Amino acid sequence: MEEDERESESERRSPPSQTSDQQTTTETSRQKLETDEDDIETKLDISSDRFDPLLALYSPQVPLPYPNIKCFNNIAEYESFMKGGRGRAKPENVEKRLRKAQKGKADPERIERLKRLMVNNPVEEEGEGSGVKRPPRQRKAAKNVLTRMPLHTGSPLGELNRCVQEKIRVKVHIRTFKGLRGVCSGFVVAFDKFWNLLFEKLKVQETVALSAVENQKSELHSSSSHLTHQTRRTDPKHTQERSEHSEKDKTTLKVTQKIATKPKVEYGRVHTRHVNQLFIRGENILLVNIQRE
Amino acid sequence: MDVSHSIRERTIAENSLVILLQGLHGQVTTVDLRDESTARGSVINVDAFMNIRLEKVLYRDRRGRVSSMDDLFITGRNVRYVHIPDSMNIIETIETQLAKIHRVRNFGASGGRKEYSKKK
Repeated sequence: MEEDERESESERRSPPSQTSDQQTTTETSRQKLETDEDDIETKLDISSDRFDPLLALYSPQVPLPYPNIKCFNNIAEYESFMKGGRGRAKPENVEKRLRKAQKGKADPERIERLKRLMVNNPVEEEGEGSGVKRPPRQRKAAKNVLTRMPLHTGSPLGELNRCVQEKIRVKVHIRTFKGLRGVCSGFVVAFDKFWNLLFEKLKVQETVALSAVENQKSELHSSSSHLTHQTRRTDPKHTQERSEHSEKDKTTLKVTQKIATKPKVEYGRVHTRHVNQLFIRGENILLVNIQRE
Repeated sequence: MDVSHSIRERTIAENSLVILLQGLHGQVTTVDLRDESTARGSVINVDAFMNIRLEKVLYRDRRGRVSSMDDLFITGRNVRYVHIPDSMNIIETIETQLAKIHRVRNFGASGGRKEYSKKK
């Protein structure tokens, strides 16, 4: 009986399918139902040995094991679904294609694949600024003022670095526009290539020039007479000698006065003070003297 | 407390002690000038060339005359000393300032224009 049916239905295609709930009622299926009901049931039962797919395709009622299953129009569709849909229009794929079309950037998926191919390379975060298309490199060593301090070994700045590391007390001579202004003694905390120094526990001894050069000259004159009185008082014996050779003495007196007045007027007073933390700009430094080993 | 917008200034500051002075933003300090005068006020801004801007300044000139000013700009070359307030930890300040520069550099580099070209 089945063979007869097949011959009559040879025109129609009948691809075997495990899940199919197409129910097309035809005359042949009705005939089948009329003739043998029990037989039909076993034939329609998918799990039985005598399952007839052709019958199942055209019968009005097919007992499906999973009624809520996904339907496909042909086997090729089913196959592509099972393979995970390469080229299938999943929402993520569509977005990816659009993004690629807009920018010529390599997408993160490709970068991940490349990273996996790399051997012995640490995977870095994006935030460290690694190149997008090239495999990530070891980060460049940070170069800043603190890391540059130990780099000067062998040069005078290297000696200064030693003072920083070993906390050796250091004396620094500070300059004025011509000559020495004062001396500072303390511990260096940090320095840089311009010789800017950062000091801690500093003792500053400096001379402050009193005022402008013109004033100094006038003070010289005013104080010279003052001094001559002093010398006369202190050395009565000498004054007698001086009075004898007055002219010569005047010149010598003037010279001695000039020498005597210099420390009093031109250099001014020496100030001493203590500063806890001080920054000294490099161009004011004359020399640096290491006080002790 | 902004990092300078210029790459050049940032690198100069990063590799010298100016970065410590830049960490002094808002602090009250005394700046001793090259010509023996002193200025005491709160630091508004210090740039890579050590030019300092001070606010509410008590300025004592080299003759000892005191005057007060709202705003004072000192050229970097005229600075001799800068007094650092005792409350400030020097290494910590330098490290925070360096971290700020790093943040700015990585923020700009990862999204857009890179500071240092990776290609050789």
